[in-house]
Amino acid sequence: MPSGTIWKGSIHFGDTDVPVKLHSAVKQERIQFHLLHQSDQVRLHQQMFCAYEKIPVPSEDQIKGFEVEEGKYLIVDPEELELTTPESSRMIEVHEFVKSAQISPLYLDHTYYLEPDSDLKAPGYSELAELLQVMNAAGICTWTMRKRSYLGALQASGTLLRLCTMRYADEVISAASLELQEIAVSEKELKIGSDLVNQLTAPFEPYKFVDEHQQRLQKLINKKARGEKVVLLRPRTLQPTPPDGLLQALEASLKKAA
Amino acid sequence: MWNGTISFSLVAIPVRLVKAVTTGRISFRTLHRTDYSPLARKMFCPKHGTVVSPDEIVRGYELVPERYLPITDEELESVSPDRSRTIEIIDFIDLGEVDPLYFDHPYYLAPLKGGEKAYRLLAEVMHRTNKAGLAKFVMVEREYLVAVVSMEGALAMITLHYSGEVLPGDGLAPKDAKLESAEKKRMERSIKNMMADFDPAKYADKRREKVVDLLKLKMKEQAPVEAPALEEEDGEGPADLVAALEEIMREVKKKP
Repeated sequence: MPSGTIWKGSIHFGDTDVPVKLHSAVKQERIQFHLLHQSDQVRLHQQMFCAYEKIPVPSEDQIKGFEVEEGKYLIVDPEELELTTPESSRMIEVHEFVKSAQISPLYLDHTYYLEPDSDLKAPGYSELAELLQVMNAAGICTWTMRKRSYLGALQASGTLLRLCTMRYADEVISAASLELQEIAVSEKELKIGSDLVNQLTAPFEPYKFVDEHQQRLQKLINKKARGEKVVLLRPRTLQPTPPDGLLQALEASLKKAA
Repeated sequence: MWNGTISFSLVAIPVRLVKAVTTGRISFRTLHRTDYSPLARKMFCPKHGTVVSPDEIVRGYELVPERYLPITDEELESVSPDRSRTIEIIDFIDLGEVDPLYFDHPYYLAPLKGGEKAYRLLAEVMHRTNKAGLAKFVMVEREYLVAVVSMEGALAMITLHYSGEVLPGDGLAPKDAKLESAEKKRMERSIKNMMADFDPAKYADKRREKVVDLLKLKMKEQAPVEAPALEEEDGEGPADLVAALEEIMREVKKKP
């Protein structure tokens, strides 16, 4: 069963309007830790402190300011910044369509499934999904949901439409910032490396993988909770392949893979 | 943030993890309504009524309400010793086979001293073959399935959701088409007319402009307020302390 409706809106472009309901597509479950005070194991709370008065400040006494010069602030209500389209319009406005393959995975954030909002007679849903699927296209859109503005990609997966929120370009750090130096790798090393990668290629089968660590972590927690001694293991570290041993390591790898 | 080794078959490359995502908005400070003094985020012990410094903080698992079992970093690292310092590529895959639904959080890997050549080779070879590495890797409380991707000469590492976390979407899509063919044609024409190259910078610029416009408007409406001067002490507290706290919060609360 799909999860409940999160929000309702309407996809809009040209003279097309498709009213839809958003459903979560992903749900995360993980072991949760809290932060404790070491001395008494009391759970700590995050709190904002006034640097001047040195007292905790509750959220109703917090305001936002933009620093125009040192120590001088312009008071701004952050909600004013978020509303690109009025939330009441519930419009998911498509600004343009792009080839899906052009969207770097670094931009993709959180995916929602879209269901046609049948209360509002929603013709066009199936046709839009089919067109996006056939054209390998994604609609780049913006909308305002719960007082926040979002940028997203509208895509089809089979007959289902999906909306994936995207990070803004100034939130994605470019690879150039790593300032990698140019290093010569021989054609022979690249050739053997490519052969090796092709040898080791397998289909992507995500259902084969589960978080084995969580199960082991739960065991450790149970053991420790019973007061039993926990044996500490040192993490395994690998010896780096030296640059002049790279070719040899690749050749040995290829032999092993064959 | 983290350093260790990425390996495929018999090749091991020393790397460190680098963030690929940042808060890009023009940033605002949180201020005290009464005196406009900037606020600093601190960890607070309700029992002692004091601020707690990072070296006095431990992780705890809630056994029963209000009762916690402390877990040390060494214990956490000890749970999966094979995977806490090693990103071992199990298979190479076609990235096109990965439904984008699986992508969670991206990072970069940067080579450490001595690993530059093997790093360069892996990035170039994955680029040529159009492949990505699939690996398992443990950070703090969670084991991640990750895709190691070649991107502009660098290695990016994107954590993936487990298939058990993907919810079913069955039955959400309607079974039948409803539009007249003329209307469908019109929709198709609209899409074709609106085709463009993906240029994410323009949306960031638009948002930035909007913020700047609003700030300009506010400048006309109101004078900036002044925070009280602090004696000696920095409003944020020692920078490394704040950074350390933020680091802990990130690790514990959100993602790795």
